[in-house]
Amino acid sequence: MTDTPIHRLGRFGSSWIVGLGRIANFAGGIVLAIVRPPWRVQRVVRAVYDAGVLSVALICGAGFAVGMVLGLQGYTTLVRFGAQESLGAVVGLVLIRELGPVVTGLLVIGRAGSATTAEIGAMVSTQQLDGLRMMSIDPMHFVVMPKALALAFVMPLLSSLFIVFGVFGGYVVGVELVGLDGGSYMASLENAVGFRDDVLQSLVKSAVFGALLGVIATYRGFTSPGNAMGVSRSTTSAVVTTSVWLLLADYVITAFWGV
Amino acid sequence: MANVDSREAHVEIDSVRLGFGERDVFEDLSCRFARARITVLMGGSGTGKSTVLRMIAGLQRPDSGRVVVAGEDVAALSERGLQRVRRRLGMLFQDGALLDSMTVLENVGLPLREHTKLGEAEIRDAVHERLAAVGLHDVDELLPGELSGGMLRRVALARAIIMDPEIVLCDEPFSGLDPPNVERIEALFRELCHDRGLTLIVTSHHMASSLRMSDQIVLLQHGRAVLGDPGELATSGDADITDFLGADGAALARQIAREGHR
Repeated sequence: MTDTPIHRLGRFGSSWIVGLGRIANFAGGIVLAIVRPPWRVQRVVRAVYDAGVLSVALICGAGFAVGMVLGLQGYTTLVRFGAQESLGAVVGLVLIRELGPVVTGLLVIGRAGSATTAEIGAMVSTQQLDGLRMMSIDPMHFVVMPKALALAFVMPLLSSLFIVFGVFGGYVVGVELVGLDGGSYMASLENAVGFRDDVLQSLVKSAVFGALLGVIATYRGFTSPGNAMGVSRSTTSAVVTTSVWLLLADYVITAFWGV
Repeated sequence: MANVDSREAHVEIDSVRLGFGERDVFEDLSCRFARARITVLMGGSGTGKSTVLRMIAGLQRPDSGRVVVAGEDVAALSERGLQRVRRRLGMLFQDGALLDSMTVLENVGLPLREHTKLGEAEIRDAVHERLAAVGLHDVDELLPGELSGGMLRRVALARAIIMDPEIVLCDEPFSGLDPPNVERIEALFRELCHDRGLTLIVTSHHMASSLRMSDQIVLLQHGRAVLGDPGELATSGDADITDFLGADGAALARQIAREGHR
């Protein structure tokens, strides 16, 4: 049979759909593992520490830097319209609605997501998962579920931390460097930010990004070929795939939220 | 060559076919492993020794045929069914397969923590007993990355036997061990098998220890299994077997056959 571009397109399409089905099945397995005893509290806490606590310095530093840049850019733009007193509102809204969840998501993908894929991939290549199976311990329950749950859990917390440090960075630039009134900065922020449209949307976005990262990072590691090149490719694939899905999900949530 | 052991088969491989891509590893493999006996799987590199162990463990499904372990065809079982069968198995992987984020104590005690209600003190005692059996002391708090290859394999063996399984699968247990430890592990295998009634299936390139401790040898060649005891293999007259054993191996096998195994 000849291999025409249509055949190749069909093969690509069907393999993509099969892949999507496998990830959905895998995600279902994680959900089942969460509700099935024994409760692996210690392993989840350990995974939260690895993915969350070890990312705190990075998130705080990045949030502060992004807030400072927003403060500078926001001030130079607003001052043209005589609206520099709204700097707090601009910095706060941009951080809460978009940059907080998205930049935190991308940073956590690069730090904790890639580490998760590489760690599980290495466990595949050194037969550690087979070792667990031979002890009648489900690797999905023992290894995958705690890591996926931890990634989903820490993302909203880290995003909130990013936003707080971003607002502080904007404050440092706007109030301490440029000389705006501190009370005006905070008052404009407080008046502009609503709970449902801004804070809740931000939390939902980061929770969805965390869940996406948890599923994709662990899936790529779990299905990694058992060799060094396979682990490296799976890690790259996890970072790229999750980043693309995160940006797509960001658009979908923003659009459906009715902004 | 006839099967040397007429005892009840604890594990039986029946007409198994398995290929990876274009390459057929087994075209029609059949062999049986007697209960409470040490069977050593021998053969050149790439003949599928580790794959046989993985099939018995249910980690590798054959393309066709049956792999019957303690009366259950593991090739046809679901993951839940396999978990049930694996509680009767212990496996030593070639590289140990210890969890590298856990200490030796945690690794060896993990099956007890997962499947029993034993307290920490009892688990610690059981771990120490198994570690002492493989010649290790004062290694509780070490991580796998801090162990030598030989120590790693012995810790993994301690973990494989901690639940007192019926069948122990060992992939190259002597690799990286010094002569005293080879003898210690040989003696442990004999004790497990002949005193406690465990069935041991061992892959090994270590000709001398394989011939010394085995009740039965399965030689894998060209996707087929040739069964026999050391003496039978040495006197088979089959050119492939003679080549594989070599002059020294054949002499040792004949000597063992004359003097008895142990």
